[in-house]
Amino acid sequence: MESSDEQLCRAIAAREPGAFDLLVERYQERAYRIAWSVLRDREDARDCSQEAFIRLHESAGSFAGQSKFSTWFYRILVNCCLDHQRRRRGWRRLVGWRDPRSDGPDEPDPVEQAPAPFTDPVDGMDKERRVTRVWALVEELSPQQRTAVTLSCREGLATKDIAAVLNVSEATVRVHLHRALSTLRRRLGDEG
Amino acid sequence: MKDVHLDEWLIDHVRGDLDPADRARVDAHLVACDHCRASRDRFAALMTELADTAPAPPPIHWGAYRAELRERLERRTSASGWLWARLARPLPALAAAGLVAVLVMAGLPGGVRAPGAPDPLALDNTLLATQLDMIARLDVVQQLDLLEDFNVIGELDELPEPQKG
Repeated sequence: MESSDEQLCRAIAAREPGAFDLLVERYQERAYRIAWSVLRDREDARDCSQEAFIRLHESAGSFAGQSKFSTWFYRILVNCCLDHQRRRRGWRRLVGWRDPRSDGPDEPDPVEQAPAPFTDPVDGMDKERRVTRVWALVEELSPQQRTAVTLSCREGLATKDIAAVLNVSEATVRVHLHRALSTLRRRLGDEG
Repeated sequence: MKDVHLDEWLIDHVRGDLDPADRARVDAHLVACDHCRASRDRFAALMTELADTAPAPPPIHWGAYRAELRERLERRTSASGWLWARLARPLPALAAAGLVAVLVMAGLPGGVRAPGAPDPLALDNTLLATQLDMIARLDVVQQLDLLEDFNVIGELDELPEPQKG
Protein backbone atom coordinates (compact mmCIF):
# COMPACT_ATOMS: atom_id res chain seq x y z
CA MET A 1 0.00 0.00 0.00
CA GLU A 2 1.25 3.48 -0.87
CA SER A 3 2.37 5.59 2.07
CA SER A 4 0.47 8.79 2.73
CA ASP A 5 2.27 12.14 2.62
CA GLU A 6 2.03 12.37 6.40
CA GLN A 7 3.60 8.90 6.85
CA LEU A 8 6.42 9.83 4.49
CA CYS A 9 7.03 13.04 6.40
CA ARG A 10 7.34 11.08 9.67
CA ALA A 11 9.69 8.67 7.90
CA ILE A 12 11.85 11.61 6.79
CA ALA A 13 11.95 12.82 10.40
CA ALA A 14 13.14 9.32 11.40
CA ARG A 15 15.78 9.57 8.62
CA GLU A 16 14.43 6.48 6.88
CA PRO A 17 16.23 6.12 3.55
CA GLY A 18 14.17 6.72 0.43
CA ALA A 19 11.32 8.60 2.12
CA PHE A 20 12.62 12.03 1.15
CA ASP A 21 13.15 11.07 -2.50
CA LEU A 22 9.65 9.65 -2.66
CA LEU A 23 8.05 12.81 -1.28
CA VAL A 24 10.14 14.99 -3.58
CA GLU A 25 8.99 13.01 -6.61
CA ARG A 26 5.41 13.35 -5.44
CA TYR A 27 5.57 17.13 -4.92
CA GLN A 28 8.29 18.41 -7.24
CA GLU A 29 6.02 19.49 -10.08
CA ARG A 30 3.49 21.19 -7.80
CA ALA A 31 6.25 22.92 -5.83
CA TYR A 32 7.96 24.20 -8.98
CA ARG A 33 4.64 25.28 -10.53
CA ILE A 34 3.52 27.22 -7.44
CA ALA A 35 6.94 28.82 -7.05
CA TRP A 36 6.90 29.83 -10.68
CA SER A 37 3.35 31.22 -10.37
CA VAL A 38 4.53 33.47 -7.55
CA LEU A 39 7.98 34.38 -8.86
CA ARG A 40 7.53 34.15 -12.66
CA ASP A 41 11.17 33.22 -13.10
CA ARG A 42 12.39 29.75 -13.98
CA GLU A 43 15.66 29.83 -12.04
CA ASP A 44 14.13 31.52 -9.01
CA ALA A 45 11.29 28.97 -9.01
CA ARG A 46 13.77 26.10 -9.25
CA ASP A 47 15.91 27.55 -6.47
CA CYS A 48 13.01 28.34 -4.10
CA SER A 49 11.23 25.02 -4.60
CA GLN A 50 14.49 23.17 -3.86
CA GLU A 51 15.05 25.34 -0.81
CA ALA A 52 11.53 24.42 0.37
CA PHE A 53 12.40 20.71 0.08
CA ILE A 54 15.61 21.25 2.04
CA ARG A 55 13.68 23.05 4.79
CA LEU A 56 11.16 20.21 4.74
CA HIS A 57 14.04 17.76 5.28
CA GLU A 58 15.40 19.83 8.16
CA SER A 59 12.08 20.41 9.91
CA ALA A 60 10.13 17.21 9.16
CA GLY A 61 10.22 16.41 12.88
CA SER A 62 8.24 19.53 13.67
CA PHE A 63 5.28 18.49 11.50
CA ALA A 64 2.64 17.88 14.14
CA GLY A 65 0.06 16.39 11.80
CA GLN A 66 -2.59 18.88 12.85
CA SER A 67 -2.98 20.08 9.27
CA LYS A 68 -2.61 18.26 5.98
CA PHE A 69 0.97 17.71 4.92
CA SER A 70 0.34 19.60 1.67
CA THR A 71 -0.84 22.70 3.56
CA TRP A 72 2.19 22.55 5.85
CA PHE A 73 4.58 22.12 2.92
CA TYR A 74 2.93 24.84 0.81
CA ARG A 75 3.42 27.19 3.72
CA ILE A 76 7.15 26.47 3.74
CA LEU A 77 7.24 26.89 -0.02
CA VAL A 78 5.26 30.13 -0.17
CA ASN A 79 7.37 31.58 2.66
CA CYS A 80 10.51 30.77 0.66
CA CYS A 81 9.05 32.47 -2.42
CA LEU A 82 7.80 35.57 -0.62
CA ASP A 83 11.10 35.92 1.29
CA HIS A 84 12.97 35.62 -1.98
CA GLN A 85 10.76 38.21 -3.59
CA ARG A 86 11.20 40.62 -0.67
CA ARG A 87 14.97 40.24 -0.92
CA ARG A 88 14.89 40.77 -4.66
CA ARG A 89 12.69 43.83 -4.27
CA GLY A 90 15.04 45.17 -1.59
CA TRP A 91 18.03 44.85 -3.90
CA ARG A 92 16.19 46.41 -6.80
CA ARG A 93 15.07 49.31 -4.62
CA LEU A 94 18.66 49.71 -3.52
CA VAL A 95 19.86 50.05 -7.09
CA GLY A 96 16.90 52.19 -8.10
CA TRP A 97 15.04 49.66 -10.24
CA ARG A 98 11.27 50.11 -10.05
CA ASP A 99 9.14 46.96 -10.12
CA PRO A 100 5.54 47.65 -11.15
CA ARG A 101 4.47 44.60 -9.13
CA SER A 102 5.79 46.17 -5.95
CA ASP A 103 3.04 48.77 -6.02
CA GLY A 104 0.46 48.38 -3.32
CA PRO A 105 -2.94 47.10 -4.36
CA ASP A 106 -4.57 50.40 -3.55
CA GLU A 107 -2.24 52.55 -5.62
CA PRO A 108 -4.00 53.78 -8.73
CA ASP A 109 -2.42 52.83 -11.99
CA PRO A 110 -3.03 54.19 -15.48
CA VAL A 111 -4.81 51.06 -16.69
CA GLU A 112 -7.17 51.14 -13.74
CA GLN A 113 -7.76 54.88 -14.13
CA ALA A 114 -8.74 54.62 -17.79
CA PRO A 115 -12.49 54.47 -18.44
CA ALA A 116 -13.91 51.10 -19.37
CA PRO A 117 -14.37 50.68 -23.13
CA PHE A 118 -17.91 51.03 -24.50
CA THR A 119 -17.74 47.76 -26.37
CA ASP A 120 -17.16 44.36 -24.81
CA PRO A 121 -13.39 43.94 -25.08
CA VAL A 122 -13.75 40.19 -25.49
CA ASP A 123 -15.40 40.75 -28.87
CA GLY A 124 -12.40 42.61 -30.22
CA MET A 125 -9.76 40.35 -28.79
CA ASP A 126 -8.94 36.84 -29.79
CA LYS A 127 -8.67 34.24 -27.09
CA GLU A 128 -4.92 34.07 -27.05
CA ARG A 129 -4.46 37.79 -26.63
CA ARG A 130 -7.09 37.79 -23.93
CA VAL A 131 -5.29 35.02 -22.00
CA THR A 132 -1.97 36.83 -22.32
CA ARG A 133 -3.58 40.00 -21.03
CA VAL A 134 -5.29 38.24 -18.11
CA TRP A 135 -2.03 36.69 -16.91
CA ALA A 136 -0.05 39.85 -17.47
CA LEU A 137 -2.53 41.55 -15.16
CA VAL A 138 -2.27 38.71 -12.63
CA GLU A 139 1.47 39.35 -12.60
CA GLU A 140 0.84 42.95 -11.61
CA LEU A 141 -1.08 41.93 -8.48
CA SER A 142 0.66 42.13 -5.13
CA PRO A 143 2.57 38.94 -4.18
CA GLN A 144 0.01 37.99 -1.52
CA GLN A 145 -2.92 38.47 -3.89
CA ARG A 146 -1.19 36.60 -6.69
CA THR A 147 -0.40 33.74 -4.34
CA ALA A 148 -4.01 33.63 -3.13
CA VAL A 149 -5.28 33.56 -6.72
CA THR A 150 -2.83 30.81 -7.69
CA LEU A 151 -3.63 28.64 -4.69
CA SER A 152 -7.35 29.17 -5.14
CA CYS A 153 -7.94 29.05 -8.88
CA ARG A 154 -5.07 26.88 -10.00
CA GLU A 155 -4.35 24.56 -7.07
CA GLY A 156 -7.94 24.44 -5.82
CA LEU A 157 -7.10 25.03 -2.16
CA ALA A 158 -9.97 25.87 0.19
CA THR A 159 -10.05 29.26 1.91
CA LYS A 160 -9.01 27.78 5.26
CA ASP A 161 -6.02 26.06 3.66
CA ILE A 162 -4.93 29.25 1.88
CA ALA A 163 -5.25 31.03 5.22
CA ALA A 164 -2.99 28.42 6.82
CA VAL A 165 -0.44 28.68 3.99
CA LEU A 166 -0.31 32.48 4.10
CA ASN A 167 -0.59 32.54 7.90
CA VAL A 168 -3.52 34.97 7.81
CA SER A 169 -7.18 34.72 8.78
CA GLU A 170 -9.83 33.33 6.44
CA ALA A 171 -11.38 36.80 6.30
CA THR A 172 -8.07 38.19 5.03
CA VAL A 173 -7.94 35.53 2.33
CA ARG A 174 -11.46 36.53 1.24
CA VAL A 175 -10.34 40.16 1.07
CA HIS A 176 -7.21 39.24 -0.93
CA LEU A 177 -9.21 37.17 -3.40
CA HIS A 178 -11.99 39.72 -3.71
CA ARG A 179 -9.57 42.60 -4.30
CA ALA A 180 -7.48 40.58 -6.73
CA LEU A 181 -10.41 39.39 -8.83
CA SER A 182 -12.16 42.77 -8.69
CA THR A 183 -8.96 44.45 -9.89
CA LEU A 184 -8.68 41.94 -12.75
CA ARG A 185 -12.30 42.47 -13.71
CA ARG A 186 -11.90 46.23 -13.66
CA ARG A 187 -8.71 46.16 -15.71
CA LEU A 188 -10.22 43.75 -18.19
CA GLY A 189 -13.32 45.88 -18.51
CA ASP A 190 -15.51 43.09 -17.19
CA GLU A 191 -17.40 45.26 -14.77
CA GLY A 192 -20.58 44.90 -16.77
CA MET B 1 -30.33 42.95 2.80
CA LYS B 2 -30.67 44.38 -0.70
CA ASP B 3 -28.56 47.43 0.16
CA VAL B 4 -25.71 45.53 1.82
CA HIS B 5 -23.82 43.58 -0.83
CA LEU B 6 -21.98 40.40 0.06
CA ASP B 7 -19.06 40.97 -2.30
CA GLU B 8 -16.41 39.17 -0.28
CA TRP B 9 -18.55 36.05 0.15
CA LEU B 10 -19.34 35.62 -3.54
CA ILE B 11 -16.00 34.04 -4.44
CA ASP B 12 -16.31 31.40 -1.74
CA HIS B 13 -19.90 30.87 -2.91
CA VAL B 14 -18.64 30.17 -6.44
CA ARG B 15 -15.99 27.79 -5.06
CA GLY B 16 -18.54 25.97 -2.89
CA ASP B 17 -16.37 26.83 0.09
CA LEU B 18 -19.02 28.13 2.52
CA ASP B 19 -20.48 26.34 5.49
CA PRO B 20 -24.21 25.58 5.19
CA ALA B 21 -25.38 28.57 7.25
CA ASP B 22 -23.31 31.10 5.24
CA ARG B 23 -24.28 29.45 1.99
CA ALA B 24 -27.98 29.73 2.85
CA ARG B 25 -27.48 33.40 3.77
CA VAL B 26 -25.74 34.18 0.45
CA ASP B 27 -28.31 32.14 -1.51
CA ALA B 28 -31.12 34.14 0.07
CA HIS B 29 -29.33 37.40 -0.72
CA LEU B 30 -28.69 36.44 -4.34
CA VAL B 31 -32.39 35.80 -4.92
CA ALA B 32 -33.12 39.37 -3.95
CA CYS B 33 -30.03 41.24 -5.24
CA ASP B 34 -29.44 41.67 -8.96
CA HIS B 35 -26.09 43.39 -8.39
CA CYS B 36 -24.61 40.50 -6.39
CA ARG B 37 -26.08 37.87 -8.73
CA ALA B 38 -24.44 39.53 -11.75
CA SER B 39 -21.22 40.02 -9.80
CA ARG B 40 -21.18 36.37 -8.77
CA ASP B 41 -21.59 35.26 -12.39
CA ARG B 42 -18.71 37.48 -13.52
CA PHE B 43 -16.48 36.18 -10.71
CA ALA B 44 -17.39 32.61 -11.69
CA ALA B 45 -16.50 33.26 -15.36
CA LEU B 46 -13.17 34.86 -14.45
CA MET B 47 -12.23 32.08 -12.03
CA THR B 48 -13.01 29.43 -14.65
CA GLU B 49 -10.90 31.35 -17.14
CA LEU B 50 -7.99 31.58 -14.67
CA ALA B 51 -8.19 27.86 -13.87
CA ASP B 52 -8.37 26.84 -17.54
CA THR B 53 -5.74 29.14 -18.96
CA ALA B 54 -3.07 29.19 -16.27
CA PRO B 55 0.23 29.20 -18.15
CA ALA B 56 2.53 26.23 -17.58
CA PRO B 57 5.96 27.02 -16.19
CA PRO B 58 8.96 26.47 -18.46
CA PRO B 59 9.79 22.75 -18.57
CA ILE B 60 12.72 21.46 -16.57
CA HIS B 61 14.53 18.12 -16.41
CA TRP B 62 13.33 16.43 -13.25
CA GLY B 63 16.28 14.07 -12.96
CA ALA B 64 18.68 17.02 -13.00
CA TYR B 65 16.41 18.86 -10.57
CA ARG B 66 16.54 16.00 -8.05
CA ALA B 67 20.29 15.52 -8.50
CA GLU B 68 20.86 19.21 -7.83
CA LEU B 69 18.55 19.06 -4.81
CA ARG B 70 20.45 16.07 -3.37
CA GLU B 71 23.73 17.88 -3.88
CA ARG B 72 22.42 21.01 -2.13
CA LEU B 73 21.05 18.92 0.72
CA GLU B 74 24.35 17.08 1.19
CA ARG B 75 26.26 20.35 1.07
CA ARG B 76 23.93 21.85 3.67
CA THR B 77 24.10 18.78 5.92
CA SER B 78 27.89 18.58 5.76
CA ALA B 79 28.15 22.34 6.28
CA SER B 80 26.06 22.17 9.44
CA GLY B 81 28.09 19.13 10.59
CA TRP B 82 31.33 21.06 10.00
CA LEU B 83 29.93 24.01 11.93
CA TRP B 84 29.06 21.80 14.90
CA ALA B 85 32.51 20.24 14.80
CA ARG B 86 34.11 23.69 14.80
CA LEU B 87 31.95 24.78 17.69
CA ALA B 88 32.46 21.57 19.66
CA ARG B 89 36.26 21.40 19.23
CA PRO B 90 37.23 23.99 21.90
CA LEU B 91 34.71 22.60 24.39
CA PRO B 92 37.01 20.01 26.13
CA ALA B 93 39.76 22.63 26.51
CA LEU B 94 37.26 25.14 27.87
CA ALA B 95 35.82 22.58 30.28
CA ALA B 96 39.29 21.64 31.52
CA ALA B 97 40.23 25.30 32.00
CA GLY B 98 37.00 25.90 33.92
CA LEU B 99 37.63 22.90 36.15
CA VAL B 100 41.17 24.08 36.91
CA ALA B 101 39.86 27.54 37.75
CA VAL B 102 37.29 26.10 40.16
CA LEU B 103 39.90 23.91 41.86
CA VAL B 104 42.33 26.81 42.18
CA MET B 105 39.64 29.02 43.67
CA ALA B 106 38.60 26.31 46.11
CA GLY B 107 42.24 25.71 47.08
CA LEU B 108 43.01 29.34 47.84
CA PRO B 109 43.22 30.32 51.54
CA GLY B 110 39.68 31.19 52.49
CA GLY B 111 38.42 29.53 49.31
CA VAL B 112 35.25 30.78 47.74
CA ARG B 113 32.84 31.50 50.53
CA ALA B 114 30.36 34.12 51.48
CA PRO B 115 31.50 36.86 53.84
CA GLY B 116 30.89 35.84 57.46
CA ALA B 117 30.61 32.16 56.66
CA PRO B 118 32.73 29.81 58.82
CA ASP B 119 36.08 28.72 57.43
CA PRO B 120 35.54 25.10 56.31
CA LEU B 121 39.22 24.30 56.84
CA ALA B 122 39.18 25.44 60.50
CA LEU B 123 35.98 23.48 61.04
CA ASP B 124 37.60 20.37 59.60
CA ASN B 125 40.64 20.83 61.84
CA THR B 126 38.51 21.18 64.94
CA LEU B 127 36.59 17.99 64.10
CA LEU B 128 39.80 16.12 63.42
CA ALA B 129 41.39 17.39 66.62
CA THR B 130 38.35 16.33 68.64
CA GLN B 131 38.54 12.87 67.13
CA LEU B 132 42.22 12.63 68.04
CA ASP B 133 41.48 13.79 71.56
CA MET B 134 44.11 16.48 71.19
CA ILE B 135 42.00 19.27 72.62
CA ALA B 136 41.74 17.33 75.88
CA ARG B 137 45.54 17.35 76.13
CA LEU B 138 46.01 20.92 75.02
CA ASP B 139 48.76 21.48 77.55
CA VAL B 140 50.86 18.77 75.93
CA VAL B 141 50.13 20.01 72.43
CA GLN B 142 51.16 23.53 73.40
CA GLN B 143 54.47 22.16 74.68
CA LEU B 144 55.24 20.25 71.49
CA ASP B 145 57.73 22.82 70.31
CA LEU B 146 59.48 22.68 73.67
CA LEU B 147 59.52 18.90 73.64
CA GLU B 148 60.94 18.99 70.13
CA ASP B 149 63.65 21.35 71.32
CA PHE B 150 64.57 18.84 73.95
CA ASN B 151 64.89 16.33 71.14
CA VAL B 152 62.31 14.11 72.75
CA ILE B 153 60.05 13.82 69.74
CA GLY B 154 62.92 13.29 67.33
CA GLU B 155 64.12 10.32 69.42
CA LEU B 156 60.75 8.84 70.19
CA ASP B 157 61.70 5.73 68.26
CA GLU B 158 64.71 5.35 70.46
CA LEU B 159 62.90 5.56 73.76
CA PRO B 160 63.12 2.38 75.71
CA GLU B 161 60.05 0.19 75.41
CA PRO B 162 57.86 0.20 78.47
CA GLN B 163 58.80 -2.58 80.75
CA LYS B 164 56.34 -5.43 80.91
CA GLY B 165 55.04 -6.82 84.08
